[in-house]
Amino acid sequence: MSSERPNLMPRTGIFYHPSFSRRSYLTVGRRLAAFPDALGDLLALPQVVLFEAQPVSDELLLKVHTADLIREVAKDPL
Amino acid sequence: MVAAAERIWLGELINAFAFIGAGGHHAGRDFFGGYCCFNDVAIAIERLREMHGVRRVAILDTDAHHGDGTRDIYRDDPAVLHVCLCGSDYASADGTKVDVAVYRRCLEAGARSDEVYLEAAEAALAARAGTFCPDLLVWYFGFDGHRGDYGDLGLTAACYNGLVGLTLALSGQVCGGRLLVVLGGGSRADLASSLIPPIIARLADAAR
Repeated sequence: MSSERPNLMPRTGIFYHPSFSRRSYLTVGRRLAAFPDALGDLLALPQVVLFEAQPVSDELLLKVHTADLIREVAKDPL
Repeated sequence: MVAAAERIWLGELINAFAFIGAGGHHAGRDFFGGYCCFNDVAIAIERLREMHGVRRVAILDTDAHHGDGTRDIYRDDPAVLHVCLCGSDYASADGTKVDVAVYRRCLEAGARSDEVYLEAAEAALAARAGTFCPDLLVWYFGFDGHRGDYGDLGLTAACYNGLVGLTLALSGQVCGGRLLVVLGGGSRADLASSLIPPIIARLADAAR
């Protein structure tokens, strides 16, 4: 995303990735197909900033989940 | 979601809304399902703990179904307050793990389901959050309980407006306004488009 605006505090962050709109595991569908356009004028507000969500490391995943779970998720057909 | 939590904690944001590609609250330490892969809220909490010394986090889970994965991960962790509105009543001995049965109440309430649901959420969370004193409040927001979605509890936009008001007010009272809203369940594109922007608008209004 390119709409980060420095030095405007305090702010509201929106964390989003275009892949969420193309396909959502949650519904095996496109419930977020209209986003981010559906946010409309919110993105123009000076206190709102849009970030692109980033993946986390396997090391961080392993602090919560077992290695087996990570392997099983990777194999999941959905 | 991890970055959102970190930026809030570091004071770069006052609050945030995190979209997701997959659900989180049905993912436990060694199981997953219910359209959830990894427990996003727990991953964010562990990051905050490891990197920033955060200890206490309160979670309000208003997805229509029980957050069994989150409960599995934090069952024995008294530094996580987990209040879940679902199908049964439960409270742990230390009071940090709480389930509130709303299915029957909403069904019986009919047209008053929004009001009944909001009252249940406030009654379960407000006093506990005040005593618990979290560093961050997380609202796990699913819209699957909206009328016509797969977890239909008869809820409408008014309920979600009330919930964002509740979480904003409580976060202001107990943790300096640090509020992270995380998208959970819900399947309908029309509901996503009509329900999510007003919630973000309320967050933005609070951050002015």
